[in-house]
Amino acid sequence: MKPLASDRAFLLLLAAVLAVALLLIISIATPFGLSAYLSNAIGQLAAFAVLALSLDLIWGYLGILSLGHGLFFGIGGYVVAMHLLKHSYEVTGRVPDFMQFMGWSEFPFYWAGFGFFPYALLMMVAVVLLISGVFGYVSFRSRVGGVYFAIITQALVYVAMLLMFRNDSGFGGNNGMTGFAVVFGWPIGLNGVVIAMAAGSVLVLGMTLLGCRMLLGSRFGILMIAARDDEVRLRTLGYETLRLKLVVWCLSALIAALAGMLYVPQVGIINPRLLAPELSLEIAVWVAIGGRGHLIGAVIGAVLVNAVKFWLSTAAPELWPFILSGLIVLVVLVFPNGLIDLAKLKLARPMGVQRLSSETPELR
Amino acid sequence: MRRLLVAAVFAIAACAPSLSMAGEAERADLIGKLCGDATSLGDGGRALTGIAADGSPDERAWAALIARAVLDRKLSCDSKGAVVVSSEGSLDVFTHAQRTASEQSRSPLLSLKNRALFETAEAALALRTAPDAARRSAALRALERQASSMPEHLFEAAAEQENGPGLKAQMTAVAQAAALNSADPVKRIAALARIAATPDRRALTQVRALIADPAYAANPELKRAVDAAISTIGRGIATGDVLATLYNGLSFASILFMAAIGLAVIFGLMGVINLAQGELIMIGGYVTWLVQEAMRHLVPGLLDWYLIVAIPVVFLVTAAIGIGLEAILLRHLYRRPLMSLLATWAVSLFLINLVRVTFGTQNLNFVTPFYVTGGVPVIGDFIFTWNRMFAIVFAVLTLALTWGLMRLTPLGLNIRAVTQNRTMAGCIGIPVRRVDMMAFGLGSGLAGLAGLALAPIYSVNPQMGQNFIIDSFMVVVLGGVGTIVGTVVAALGIGQVNVLIEPLWGAVAAKVIVLLMIIAFLQWRPEGLFAIKGRRK
Amino acid sequence: MSMFSRRSFLQATGLTAAAFATPVGTPAIIRSAHAASGTVKLGCLFSSSGTMANIEGRLNHVVRMAADEINAKGGVNGRTIEVTVSDPASDWPLYAQVGKQMLEQDKVAALFGCWTSVSRKSVLPVVEQANGLLFYPLHFEGDENSKNIVYVNSPPASSVLPAVDYLMGEDGVSAKRFFMLGSDYVWPRTINKQLKGYWKSKGIPETAWKEEYVPLGFSNFQTLVNQIRAFADQGGGKPIVVLTVVGSSIPDFLREFANQGIKATDVPVLGLDMVEADLEGLNTEPLVGHLNCWAYLQNAKSAANAAFLKQWADYVKAKNVPFKGDVAIDPMISAYDAVHLWAMAAAKANSFDVPEVRKAFAGLSFDCPSGYKLGMTAENNYVSRGVFIGSVNEKQGFDVLWQSKDASKPVPFSPYG
Repeated sequence: MKPLASDRAFLLLLAAVLAVALLLIISIATPFGLSAYLSNAIGQLAAFAVLALSLDLIWGYLGILSLGHGLFFGIGGYVVAMHLLKHSYEVTGRVPDFMQFMGWSEFPFYWAGFGFFPYALLMMVAVVLLISGVFGYVSFRSRVGGVYFAIITQALVYVAMLLMFRNDSGFGGNNGMTGFAVVFGWPIGLNGVVIAMAAGSVLVLGMTLLGCRMLLGSRFGILMIAARDDEVRLRTLGYETLRLKLVVWCLSALIAALAGMLYVPQVGIINPRLLAPELSLEIAVWVAIGGRGHLIGAVIGAVLVNAVKFWLSTAAPELWPFILSGLIVLVVLVFPNGLIDLAKLKLARPMGVQRLSSETPELR
Repeated sequence: MRRLLVAAVFAIAACAPSLSMAGEAERADLIGKLCGDATSLGDGGRALTGIAADGSPDERAWAALIARAVLDRKLSCDSKGAVVVSSEGSLDVFTHAQRTASEQSRSPLLSLKNRALFETAEAALALRTAPDAARRSAALRALERQASSMPEHLFEAAAEQENGPGLKAQMTAVAQAAALNSADPVKRIAALARIAATPDRRALTQVRALIADPAYAANPELKRAVDAAISTIGRGIATGDVLATLYNGLSFASILFMAAIGLAVIFGLMGVINLAQGELIMIGGYVTWLVQEAMRHLVPGLLDWYLIVAIPVVFLVTAAIGIGLEAILLRHLYRRPLMSLLATWAVSLFLINLVRVTFGTQNLNFVTPFYVTGGVPVIGDFIFTWNRMFAIVFAVLTLALTWGLMRLTPLGLNIRAVTQNRTMAGCIGIPVRRVDMMAFGLGSGLAGLAGLALAPIYSVNPQMGQNFIIDSFMVVVLGGVGTIVGTVVAALGIGQVNVLIEPLWGAVAAKVIVLLMIIAFLQWRPEGLFAIKGRRK
Repeated sequence: MSMFSRRSFLQATGLTAAAFATPVGTPAIIRSAHAASGTVKLGCLFSSSGTMANIEGRLNHVVRMAADEINAKGGVNGRTIEVTVSDPASDWPLYAQVGKQMLEQDKVAALFGCWTSVSRKSVLPVVEQANGLLFYPLHFEGDENSKNIVYVNSPPASSVLPAVDYLMGEDGVSAKRFFMLGSDYVWPRTINKQLKGYWKSKGIPETAWKEEYVPLGFSNFQTLVNQIRAFADQGGGKPIVVLTVVGSSIPDFLREFANQGIKATDVPVLGLDMVEADLEGLNTEPLVGHLNCWAYLQNAKSAANAAFLKQWADYVKAKNVPFKGDVAIDPMISAYDAVHLWAMAAAKANSFDVPEVRKAFAGLSFDCPSGYKLGMTAENNYVSRGVFIGSVNEKQGFDVLWQSKDASKPVPFSPYG
């Protein structure tokens, strides 16, 4: 991978992200700048971009496709929703809706302590690590890979959705959870708070970008790419690929959960629909359209696709599915490695191994 | 047939003006009840049943028409009495002369309670008066369940006038069963034996109620008979439950199999996960509907057979779509299974919305032909429903044909060869690309057929395919890629386990547990149950 | 591959920038952000895709039809009504998103939307924050009283209890045992909770009922119908099924029920969300006798109903609406009533501001096609409606089995659990 200082495209994107964050910060305090509505949209796009980054990390650089990253996104979202609801309850005393219609007067025992944010954060990390760790370990050890792995992750997120839809599971069930009144002590409806959350999301996006880039630029990144290109060879050379894959898998899951934590307070509701298998598939679509194997590709893909979706869902709702399917077919047939990569191949001078030529097996 | 009956009855009535004055008054009274409020309507219903038991043949014939008319809402009450609207036109109930109802006429609306009474009355009257043996047999079956609340001599009288020996014997049997609560203990014991012969939960409740009867404690013979009946019925119910579980499992398995077999062929051959499989099932359903509509316009007489006629049509249409898909899209994604996954997902999205925009979102209106309607009670509470039987038979036929194709035809040989070793097959001269195309067409055609078989069971709408995707993938992956046997075994296993768990913890828990079990199994044995032996990469 | 170059990179970046800019620029081009003088905007939140599409989709057209009718009479306060339609795609969070957009960007004067209680509860915080007004046309579980939602249709006291009472009474079937089958979300859960409280208050023991839930969109009812049969045959009194499944589960359930040979006279089904549209694909001969309960039935006999049905049939033909012109369901009528109620309130208040319109609700009265006079009071945002109990007939419709004498006062919060 190119050294950071000379990776022009990446630096350009990072600069753009920071510029947007600055603009948002200005908008909090002054009446100039972006409206609350637009800031909210940008904040959501930033959360999706972080999610796309997490998938790109394992798919683009490690070669493992997961079609169930919505699961970790959902876990992050649910944890933050639980925190917000519990916190709101502690501040306002209003019992959440889902408890009212189930006829419960007390929170289930696993809700204890969620009003305290560090504890909630800790729980999120623990749950994500547990699920991704166990699943990853068992799968990678039996050398489950490729299409099988993709399908199994779809089934996994589907199971999670079914469980969460049950109203007696204590997580809001079909209704999901809504009615968050306060976030970190600030009322959630205030314009300033909305813009501040958006600014925060964009900043987190920037930091994640930088962090992933540094990871990939290190020795670890080289190992990842080697594992993607030919795992057997790497193993033969004596490297422990199981541990490598497991670490990156868990890291990717944590980043996805982080994205969930950014997303939910900004939309004000969480619902098991987030765990639908189709949505997890869409994440892969964002990364594929933007360009797999480039961090900037993931960000651009996510932002582009979701911006068009937001716009079309009110302007021309009938058209959106057709446009999306057309876009996917276009990318798949005409731009085999995503939009951005095509240009990059001409701009950059490829060093050594042509990473993303069509001979590279994209899947093991 | 009905017309003749109406004509005959009225002819008889017309030729017999010697209705006694008392009879006339009774009829007027009855019509008055029918045209009254809900309570008197109920009384009228009960009176009709009484006529079935006690009335003269003329009265019974007249009452049968009245009962039928009330159920069909063809009876109109007005100031002069009532009118029955039949194929002859609207006729006055007393004089049978042509007369249209006056302005303020209304048809009595049956509440549920009254509907039950009238259905009973109509069946009782049909038992005594219907000229058609099938009709009498159906009426007997309907009345059997409430035999003990019927007037005692109804069945005996019906049996007496019955000519067909089989039906006569059945009626006598039911008459015996009706005597469950009579005073004579011998009759009661005979009734118990009769009831135990058709064991179900209703019978069990009936017999159990006898334990509270003082005669139970008093008469040791009766006690023995009741206990014996209870245990026989219990056994029958248990057998029925087991059979029901097996049948439900088989039915679910047949659905899974049909949804998955096409996928298994394609995945085994090309490693392509076809996410548009569900949509091909949906298109199969829609093509079936189009065939139905075409037949409705062109050959309405044969409409009931649309399901059969649609079979080749659906297969060819969906196979053509599949071949087109392969040629235009997937061919270029050779050796890129992930991109083909995304591409087929895009196609699925496109197809759902295309169908939605073209046909609308509502469920399609299907005619249910006689061979997929209703069910046959077998034993205990187990009912054999025909529509699921159709699906099972269809699945078996599909299995047989696919197996035949794979084993006995050149195309099948080629498919198997390419599945086992694509490069080598190409080397020895098998036209690999063409085999791909034909196999994809075959897989898609099978999916379309699945849609056809599912049309009598599930609602057909643009979203229906989404319900089958995850399940069919699990079947394919569990069964082992590229093997038909694997698909069959996996479908049977998943279907049966699902149906076993469902009554215990609910449908969702069943699905979740089954999926988790499969995931766990795959971690241990990723190639599935019956995989073609190869190197585990 | 040599065809692509720096140009395409710049194009890609340009596209990204444009993607950010479009939400800013679009409103001015595609939608007028603020009503030009002469028009007032109303927004619709009904899905035209997804599981709710078949039943919600028609409501968009009804709102449009009502708006056209009012515009033909001169509009409201001198302005013509412009209806903005959207597609939340049966995705509950998307209802909130689109609702927010309509209130904040398009500045609609009122929203008409939602069917499932889930979607309404998603939109509730949005409409309260923006101090907007949502007219909600479905009967629901009650237990809510927001000043930003107008509850145009009945809470359980006037939509569930009358039917259950009927079935439990002498006129009905003297029901003593109850099998509750519902889709798993807030409305069925709350209704069943209230029913259990009601039965407890009447001294009915817990063994007399059974509760089962299925996921939304569930279609494989074989085992459940077996369970219902087993429950029914246990004896101990007449059993009924209280059905609170919604959407496509309704015809799937009824089909399985009929196939297993169960008639309404054996085990009647009270389908609380069953409308004429759900019977569209079915052969209803074996289903004759099952019941539902709404504030309107298509077979209601009134001059206003005949006029409405004709108006709808003509509108369908004239505007090529992709729904049947001979089917009218309660939520359609309630949506129609809602538009008229809003127009009357706005005219009475001579303003479109939500607080003023809200004040004008008190004392409103409107002649509903159901034949009853709708009324609103100053106490809350509920509308008093009549009650109909319908019975399935062979023509895929409902006969009016019973109707209330007048439009009863609605009870927002249930006294039973």
